[in-house]
Amino acid sequence: MKNQSRAKWSNLAIIISSSIIISGCDLNKSSSSDDTTTATQVAYTHVSKLGGDATAVDASDSGHGFSTPMPNLSTDELDKHLTGDTHFETAFTTAPNSDHPDLDGLGPVFNNQDCNSCHQRDGRSSTITLAQGQERFLLGPEAGIFLRMSIDDGQCSDPSIDNNYCKNIGVDGFGTQLFHRGVLKARDDWQENPFIGQANVYLSYEYSTVEYSDGSTIELKKPIFTIEKAYDVSDENRLNSAILQGDVRYSPRNGMPVFGLGLLELINESDILALADENDANDDGISGRPNWVFDPVKAKDEDPIPVSLGRFGWKASTPSVRVQSLGALRGDMGITNPLFPDESIANTPLHESYLSRTGFVDTGSDEQGAPEASQAFSDEVVFYAETLAVPARRNVDDESVIAGAQLFTQINCTGCHQPDFTTGTGELQLGGVAAPDALKGQHIYPFTDMLLHDLGEGLADNRRDFTATGAEWKTRPLWGIGLTKTVNPAAGFLHDGRAATVEEAILWHGGEAEQSKSDFIALTQAERQSLVDFVMSL
Amino acid sequence: MNKKSLIALAMSAVFLTGCGSSSSDDTNVIVEPTGFSFDATEMITNLTNDVIVAGYKNLNDEAADFLLATQNLVNTPTADNLAAAQQAWKDVRVPWEQGESHIFGPVDALSIDPHLDTWPLNTSDLQALLASQAGFSADELKTFNDDVQGFHTMEFLLFGDGVADNEKSIDELTALESEYLSAAAEVFKTYTQALFDAWTVRNDANDASSSAYKDLLITADNDVYASQLGVVEELINGMIGIVDEVGNGKIAEPFGTSIETIDTTKVESQYSWNSLADFTDNIRGVQNVYRGEFSEQADKAGIIDFLSAADADVASRVDTEIADAIAKIEAIAGDADLPFRQAINNADARVRIQAAIDALSTLQTSLENDVLTQLQQWQQ
Repeated sequence: MKNQSRAKWSNLAIIISSSIIISGCDLNKSSSSDDTTTATQVAYTHVSKLGGDATAVDASDSGHGFSTPMPNLSTDELDKHLTGDTHFETAFTTAPNSDHPDLDGLGPVFNNQDCNSCHQRDGRSSTITLAQGQERFLLGPEAGIFLRMSIDDGQCSDPSIDNNYCKNIGVDGFGTQLFHRGVLKARDDWQENPFIGQANVYLSYEYSTVEYSDGSTIELKKPIFTIEKAYDVSDENRLNSAILQGDVRYSPRNGMPVFGLGLLELINESDILALADENDANDDGISGRPNWVFDPVKAKDEDPIPVSLGRFGWKASTPSVRVQSLGALRGDMGITNPLFPDESIANTPLHESYLSRTGFVDTGSDEQGAPEASQAFSDEVVFYAETLAVPARRNVDDESVIAGAQLFTQINCTGCHQPDFTTGTGELQLGGVAAPDALKGQHIYPFTDMLLHDLGEGLADNRRDFTATGAEWKTRPLWGIGLTKTVNPAAGFLHDGRAATVEEAILWHGGEAEQSKSDFIALTQAERQSLVDFVMSL
Repeated sequence: MNKKSLIALAMSAVFLTGCGSSSSDDTNVIVEPTGFSFDATEMITNLTNDVIVAGYKNLNDEAADFLLATQNLVNTPTADNLAAAQQAWKDVRVPWEQGESHIFGPVDALSIDPHLDTWPLNTSDLQALLASQAGFSADELKTFNDDVQGFHTMEFLLFGDGVADNEKSIDELTALESEYLSAAAEVFKTYTQALFDAWTVRNDANDASSSAYKDLLITADNDVYASQLGVVEELINGMIGIVDEVGNGKIAEPFGTSIETIDTTKVESQYSWNSLADFTDNIRGVQNVYRGEFSEQADKAGIIDFLSAADADVASRVDTEIADAIAKIEAIAGDADLPFRQAINNADARVRIQAAIDALSTLQTSLENDVLTQLQQWQQ
């Protein structure tokens, strides 16, 4: 019971109630006088343990808040988690590395060398800032962001074998992700351009200003990316590169927190779909659509319909922690694994020239056909991300936080940021593997409906992802969000890290969230502060 | 910060004991207040300024000396200058390893840790670079991947592969290697400077309104640290993290489960044979945070004072356990002064290594079960 230091006498009854709610007791057992005190407060007001029994202990006030194992794991599960933890920080190197054959195979083109570089301390990556007078920044090891890309082919709404399950069409010679870094000899021109991947990517910003009803203003920044030195063209022909053509769509993707993910995967599909309102039948301006995505685990198991509900990634484009993590291992780092055994750039001219130039020593599989990461390594690193504890809330009984909790519902943030679910029970699987009991039957408060919403032009990437449109994003879980800067002081919010604060992130909301944002702007300064205080308490 | 009220404490007790109480308990529970009081301001200020920031200043100063030593080596490639550069590398290593007891904030946010200390070294790319490029500048090297720069790249260039010995003669050092080394040392220095500046000037160098990181700890009521509780929790968990890493990672992994399963490729600082110094400095870093001062300095406020307010016996026991862990690590070398990479392959030394692992395990258990848990009892 830490962080109640700001509790005031006037909140005494609330403290009593909070102890009841937090500990999961039946509210009916409480005395009637308590009930009248809390009747006007929203149910999540005093909830502290956002992950149920899988909430972190003695870590929720510091930068360790995202990095502790769920406290309810078995001894064997904890061992597996801790082994996965070391993998998460493992930096891979160029193959061959005879001293460290288990750690080689990086790339040959990639975005970063280890998981932790884009998920610093299991949280968001640092947003790159520009020095005074600096126009742009070349994405390198410090950048936890990369570009997805694909050819614009219109919407896709009903995944089937006939439309290749709505998979995005990759750019010829590049694929669906731009790998801006490489091992030394990744490219033909490596002696002039060492360590460059498919192309260089530069980050710059454009700025805009928002004015509140009380006249105060706030400046927002939006990242702009430019691409140079694409490998498929010479400098003088740079505009002819396949990735600079008019039908190519890009979407920047920032690293995001990796705790509590197993819990999100165990939310019953029916509970998520029950919140969907595709045609806005209730006329509240908010639709909420599921993304239906190709599921490589099902495909590997020869499921006739390898499609699942998308749950992870900025557009809910992956169905499981397993597909998300091992996809990142193969893509972001270039480490082939049993689920994704082919190199990310297999069958492109870049890969073919790399292999012939370097003597076919880094093909992505060894003489026995085994991929670069073993099944055990893959299972352990996936398990790690599935079983990181959710931090508990802070300042639950602060008056401003309590007021903000009510405002959060009043201006309908909860229309998308659904406060709670209870995870499934019984025989359940996570990414095709039996789920640990620690994750089951937990009353969790992730503050997401796990659905897609149109957030308007300001945030749109204009690139569809499976069945998600170019304006839709998955509602981000808000649990733990208040510890973001504690974990990484340079972290930013939203899919490209553009928002330096929670307040800025709110102001970027549009589309289905336009009304809530307008209501936020119309609040008094004190009310806005309360709402932000509540979000920061999560 | 206001003190918690007695009744609020009583209600906390209701929460901690869980459900099952009758409704009358909810209003009638009277529990003696538990916990302890401690004003953490002086301790946090001291640990921030005189341990963490002072350590980063040492790191930056030693990095400057090391850069000079590499430049001397480039200009005058003599055995003495090589030896001086080797020693300077070991000297920079001390504050860095001690600082691993508090790996949070800018060292992470600015990717300083991977820039400076990526392991393993990418020997194939490094050798290909040395075989193909005519020269190296710091500006150019800064764009290279982390696994061909930082401590271990410079260590490899200075000491050789470390297999048979950790001595590299001046004749074995090529002019191009010296140039690469010096460029790497120059890049290294920019990162230690950036780290020091982030703590003392602005945590985002590009944002004039951003605070010195140290101030976020010292005045903990901000978006990074909402309270002093968070700072103390950060420091204690940081100590646990490095004790765990040294005991269960840096020592245990190369050590293996038997002499047949040792793995010298996993030995930290294996080229210079500086491993035992690294491990010792890691735990000295824990001692610095725990005691509130570097060794040989006058007593100042540290975690030990926080703990003494809670339980003086535990405070004293943990202090002894830290000293014991350091002593056990130092003892690994034995009379023959074995480096760690050879000690793991020596039956007698393995007994001493196991003793060090055990001491670290004891310390880790105490930190987790007897120190960290005090946070819940602390009445700020």
